[in-house]
Amino acid sequence: MSKPLLTLEKVSKTYMLGKREVPALSNLDLQVNKGEFVSIMGPSGSGKTTLLNMLGCLDKPTSGTLLLSDVDVTKMPEKDLYKIRLNKIGFVFQTFNLLPYLNARENVELPMEGKFTSKTGRKQRASELLGMVGLSGRERHRPQRLSAGEQQRVSIARALANDPAIILADEPTGNLDSKNKYEIVKLLANLNINQGTTIIMVTHDGQVAAQTERMLFLSDGKITREKQGRHVAKKKYTCPHCEGKIAPGDERCPSCKKKL
Amino acid sequence: MGVITRAVRNISRRKMRALLVIIALGFSLAIMISIPAGVIANQESALGLTENLGSTITETQATINQTLTQIDCTIGSSFEGFGFAAPDQSVPSGFDFTPPDGGDGSGFTPGQFGNGTGAPGQFGGGAFGGGGTTAMNETFYNDINSTLDGVAAVVPTLEVSEGTEEEMEMMGRTFTTLSVDYVIEGIPLTSEIVDNYPVLPTDIVDGRNLQAGDSGVVLLSENNTLFFNAEVGDTIEILDETFEVIGVYSSSGVESTTTLYMNLSDAQSLTNNTGYITTLTVFAESSDVVTDVATEINDLHPELTVTTGQERLEQLESLQSTYETALEEAEASLSQTQSTAFQEVVVAVAATSLIVLFVMLYTVRERTKEIGTLKAIGFSNWTVMSQFMLEGVMLSLIAGVVGIAIASLAAPTLSGLLLPTVSQQVSTFGGARMATTNPGATSTATTAISLTPELILIALGAAVLLGALGSLYPAWRASRTRPAEAMRYE
Repeated sequence: MSKPLLTLEKVSKTYMLGKREVPALSNLDLQVNKGEFVSIMGPSGSGKTTLLNMLGCLDKPTSGTLLLSDVDVTKMPEKDLYKIRLNKIGFVFQTFNLLPYLNARENVELPMEGKFTSKTGRKQRASELLGMVGLSGRERHRPQRLSAGEQQRVSIARALANDPAIILADEPTGNLDSKNKYEIVKLLANLNINQGTTIIMVTHDGQVAAQTERMLFLSDGKITREKQGRHVAKKKYTCPHCEGKIAPGDERCPSCKKKL
Repeated sequence: MGVITRAVRNISRRKMRALLVIIALGFSLAIMISIPAGVIANQESALGLTENLGSTITETQATINQTLTQIDCTIGSSFEGFGFAAPDQSVPSGFDFTPPDGGDGSGFTPGQFGNGTGAPGQFGGGAFGGGGTTAMNETFYNDINSTLDGVAAVVPTLEVSEGTEEEMEMMGRTFTTLSVDYVIEGIPLTSEIVDNYPVLPTDIVDGRNLQAGDSGVVLLSENNTLFFNAEVGDTIEILDETFEVIGVYSSSGVESTTTLYMNLSDAQSLTNNTGYITTLTVFAESSDVVTDVATEINDLHPELTVTTGQERLEQLESLQSTYETALEEAEASLSQTQSTAFQEVVVAVAATSLIVLFVMLYTVRERTKEIGTLKAIGFSNWTVMSQFMLEGVMLSLIAGVVGIAIASLAAPTLSGLLLPTVSQQVSTFGGARMATTNPGATSTATTAISLTPELILIALGAAVLLGALGSLYPAWRASRTRPAEAMRYE
């Protein structure tokens, strides 16, 4: 087993509600390996979104450490955190959060601006990504002309734009009907299998969570239970070079030693 | 897909709001442009007046200094504008010079009329003549030269105004006034006089000045050339006789602008005044004896109105102080205008930045979730800030163009509404004889408001600057939004 991609040690987060302290996370420990497809479940107020915000460097824990690729991001100043978000993390939101005045391709291009990719390079990559999520020919549609499922696909394409180490999805199926819900979960699962993208998904939908590899149950700011999902069975852990068996998170094939 | 495109799309996304904001900003910027334009125009007109006044006073003073030894002797009122005649003597009055021997019932023939103080034969002409002065016998005052000490020369001149006669009722009596077309000034063209004494205009702009021995020729003022529609070398008709235009002079403010100069004998025969003159100009030997000579003349001939260069200078000084007062008033009014303008510009500047500030604050609040999203997908604080700054600047830049358009159409109206008007009527000097001239003629300086390229550039610069200033705080707030909180915001 290689080093974990994400390591949380005794992470606590307390919000101040007026003068009252409201604990959201308390002494939470978690490790996520590269290539894992993790779901986090729990009732409302259990700290799911807080945890996801910590993982995505959108918020800082009150105490504890968060290592992302061995870098302690809790010690990073706010002005540098955007680089982590830009290069390492892709977000998928429940409400898609696409910019209404930009078309699908422009929305996907948005994160690439921060990397100073060339204009044509950005366009090409955005079109490729939209093709990958099944939206070829829809590049020039603005969000209001796309269905909810299509908007979420654009959102996933945007999350992939800078080839992030992790995709963080906050209730990505929460606003979708059952058909689209299934399509989106399938898309994420395929990304995980085909691209090896690490995905951490918050959901309160047991059916959706069951499609992942590792189900975490959160209660009162702590992980209380962990369960294997059906995705494990689907995942073929084989090396693309020698077809030998590999473990999730491996950087090199244990048999042929080639880089994965 | 850059920051600029996004800014443009965001502005055009809410067209009605953008339009209202741009109009409001545009008006505020138009006011900002119009007020300085108005002040500049006012300043220029005041400056023009100052320069005009200054040069006129200087020229007049110079001429008077040259003619300090000069004493003008006339009979009658020293009033130019209306000539009066004693109505009970039922003579034509006003500027019109009726030939004494014209047999027109005036009852005045040379030597016939006495004013009760002297013997018959003392007066010629009667109560008429150019500028309300009375014609007198050419030879009658020969004793001034022959009997008085300190007299260097005596120059007899004839001044006759020509124009249209109009009857006028005043206090139950009928007066005749004359609308002057031109004034004939006859000067004895002998070398002794023209070479030694300042009796002719000095500022010749075309052709040449009159010389000793000239006859059948005239020296026209610039105004005269317009009236006669003639230039140097042309022949013009004056009272049915032809004269050649020998030169054109520019009135320096001492001469009347309508006076044309010719040989005295030409003028006399032309106006049927052979042997008659209207003014005796006496030159004293030095400025020290001028006052004495003037007193002696008055003692010898009490009926003469005697004006010395010294008196003219005093009159000039009094005029000068009148004009200086007017100028001070204009300056005070201008400085009041400037301070009002300053206050109004400050208000307009504040209004512009406040409009931008509130609009951008509203926009930032409205788009909190978008800001959160942008930060979550890796936008730096700086990129977020510049995005909103650019939107504010663009909005006010568009408004700047609109403001310039409004100002170019309505700058005079706007500055007229917002600025106290500068008193622009300042009298100018007019008339040849300072002693007999009312400072009546007024000229109105027109306020021409124009938008100079500099002003337009400054306006656009101000629009950009105020747009940046107004959106600085909202943009900073946007950039400081914590993404986790922004994401929760609906």
